[in-house]
Amino acid sequence: MTVALSLRGLTKSFGSGDAQRPALAPLTLQVAQGQRVAIVGHNGSGKTTLLKMAAGLLDPSGGDVLVTGQPGGSPAARAALAYLSDHPTFYDDLSLREHLEYVARLHGVADWADRADQLVAKVGLSDRVDDLPTTFSRGLRQKAAITLAFVRPFQVLLVDEPFVGLDSAGKAALLELFDDTSTRGAALLVATHELTFVNRVDRLIALADGELRYDGAPGETDVNELVFHT
Amino acid sequence: MSTTEMPVEATTTPSLGVHALRDLRARRKKNRLGELEWFEAAYQVYLVALFGGGGLLWLSSLVGDQKLSVVEAADVARNAPALLGLVAVLAVVLGLRSGSQGGPLALEAADVTHVMLSPVDRLQALLRPATQRIRSAVFVGVGLGGALGQLAGRRLPGTSFAWFGSGALFGFTVALLWVGAALVAHAIRLPLVIATVIAVVGFGWQGVALAKGIPGPANLYGSLALWGWRQHPVDVVALVVSLGLLVTGVALLARTSLDALARRSSLVTQLRFAVTMQDLRTVVLLRRQLTHDQTRARPWLRLPTRGRTNVIWRRGWHSLLRLPAGRLIRMVALAVGAGACQVAAYRGTTPAVLGTVVLTFVLGLEVLEPLSQEVDQPDRCDGLPIERGDLMVRHLLAPVVALIPFSAIAATTAALIESSKSNDASGAFAVAGLLAFPTLLAGAAGAAINIVRDAPDPFSGTNQQTFMPPEMAGFSTVLRTLVPLAVSAVGALSVVIVRQAVIHDGPNAAVPTAVRAMTAGLLVVAGVATWVRMRDRMRRSIRAFMSEGHAHTQQQRSSR
Repeated sequence: MTVALSLRGLTKSFGSGDAQRPALAPLTLQVAQGQRVAIVGHNGSGKTTLLKMAAGLLDPSGGDVLVTGQPGGSPAARAALAYLSDHPTFYDDLSLREHLEYVARLHGVADWADRADQLVAKVGLSDRVDDLPTTFSRGLRQKAAITLAFVRPFQVLLVDEPFVGLDSAGKAALLELFDDTSTRGAALLVATHELTFVNRVDRLIALADGELRYDGAPGETDVNELVFHT
Repeated sequence: MSTTEMPVEATTTPSLGVHALRDLRARRKKNRLGELEWFEAAYQVYLVALFGGGGLLWLSSLVGDQKLSVVEAADVARNAPALLGLVAVLAVVLGLRSGSQGGPLALEAADVTHVMLSPVDRLQALLRPATQRIRSAVFVGVGLGGALGQLAGRRLPGTSFAWFGSGALFGFTVALLWVGAALVAHAIRLPLVIATVIAVVGFGWQGVALAKGIPGPANLYGSLALWGWRQHPVDVVALVVSLGLLVTGVALLARTSLDALARRSSLVTQLRFAVTMQDLRTVVLLRRQLTHDQTRARPWLRLPTRGRTNVIWRRGWHSLLRLPAGRLIRMVALAVGAGACQVAAYRGTTPAVLGTVVLTFVLGLEVLEPLSQEVDQPDRCDGLPIERGDLMVRHLLAPVVALIPFSAIAATTAALIESSKSNDASGAFAVAGLLAFPTLLAGAAGAAINIVRDAPDPFSGTNQQTFMPPEMAGFSTVLRTLVPLAVSAVGALSVVIVRQAVIHDGPNAAVPTAVRAMTAGLLVVAGVATWVRMRDRMRRSIRAFMSEGHAHTQQQRSSR
């Protein structure tokens, strides 16, 4: 089994001196190619901090990240890793189609148009593709962000609370895309409170107060207990 | 699990990404130019030219045209390099602090997500924002340096043109120093505490150099500014150092922290908008957020949990007792600065009053934190079973008491400086003691107007603003900015009144005039407090009156 994402002693503290607050205790884990991982935990348990550090958006206080064997933040790691944030950001002067073109071409995808059309159709945004995503509602913004994450190639996909604001059609489309992701061998890490999704993963990681509480198969533990009572 | 690492597939061509980046930036620039309102842009240029030119003419009239005597010119030649060197030290300090807090670059939030997380070379991606930052700093430095150099040239030996050139060169060098220091400090993740130590050492050394005539670390920079008069080839070292620092900073651009860029992106956009709207309070608030200025988790002192003290007074102290040490130090510095400016105004430099106005106004914004918090949570505020005006005016009480120690600091500063230059120490302490509190209070009154007018106005919604003609909207914005500052100026001008009384009626007139000026200042403050309390009621009455008139007119029309 090959390792797609490796976190070694990754840790984060906020503040300094007496006000220093640990957000994530040193965490070491490896995620294999094609593996589907759900990260669960109560609010403030460290899920977003973990994903942001793995994506390179947050400087760790210690430890390091390897993406497909390359140091996190290096061009090769950035080419291999996609991050779908819980707060999608868009340019206020680009339509969704122009966003798709930009992101795809930044990642070296020359023939992006067909792929973009398929994605947009899948999430039900075909009639809004020439509109500005900054004017979309919360759910439509989330759908637009999903198309941007999937229009480019990746070997590791990090996703933070993807189901918030999505309607049932959007959730179904996203789950299909997740299935495609693992089928073609990319690793998937999803931080979520959506317990129905937990049943579809190979591996469950539970965090509580920044510490690892569980790392194993989802069927072997009471997820409700882990998420709400740890 | 095997630890075999997955080979990286060559899924991307970085150069292709760079081409995409360039293409899209060019297209966005074209779109922006296409959407630019040229009339509005011309109006902005007109406003800048009007106010900038007016300000320059005013400064020019203050400087005068008379050439300095030989002795005075020699004094300038001796002290100016060390004095102007302080500007260079300030630039380094500001640059280092900016860099250690995540500056000086700011990208759009979408650029951080889409460009910085893509495999495009980060040096290439950041080169343009860095160039824009350098260009704007150089523009300000050269413009300001050139204008001030030209003014200096009117009284010092040398032609105005040469002085303009040397001033611009000084501004250019200092601007590069600031950007270079910030970029390097960011790249090497300089801790803020080290930046603060460098600031203390730098200012200390340069200050001693100025006082004792020894070489200071930034004397060469100051000397460069005198090239309109005389040229020392060794001063070029300053330019070389600035350029070297800048080149180093640019070379290290790829080490820019995404964490800092992500945090700053939205804040800087809001800050620019607030500056455009001349929204001083928002500028101060956003500056605090940019510098991680967070309130203390635990207050300096815990208030007794039991007691029957007024809840709004108590809430005010809960807020004030959580002000972080850095902010308290800044407030002390503002009070010291205000005291020093008042002495300068008393000794004849009337424009120093402007310094007092700004410093007391900002101090007021700092101390009125409880009121700001209330105004910034309108849903919470309007849900309380209390008239909003009554609530707001009660929020002024704790800050007014909190101003007393800062008034003592300002008074002591002013009295110490003044008594060191005159023989009447007791008189200096008496006048400073009388004027300090009303001056700071008036500064806070201006700040209170600035804060309270941000409260949502249920009686004149956004429609009224939307349908306002553009020329009136601009005027209204300027007026909204100037009125609070004008109120803050009432306190600061008291020292000028005392000065004029002393000039005309002798030193014995100082204390009685100070008492009268203090009374006038306090009356204005009372007026502001009344306005805060009655604002909603007055607006409600005006709105009712207008509605009544409107209905009456409609009735008359329909009866015709």
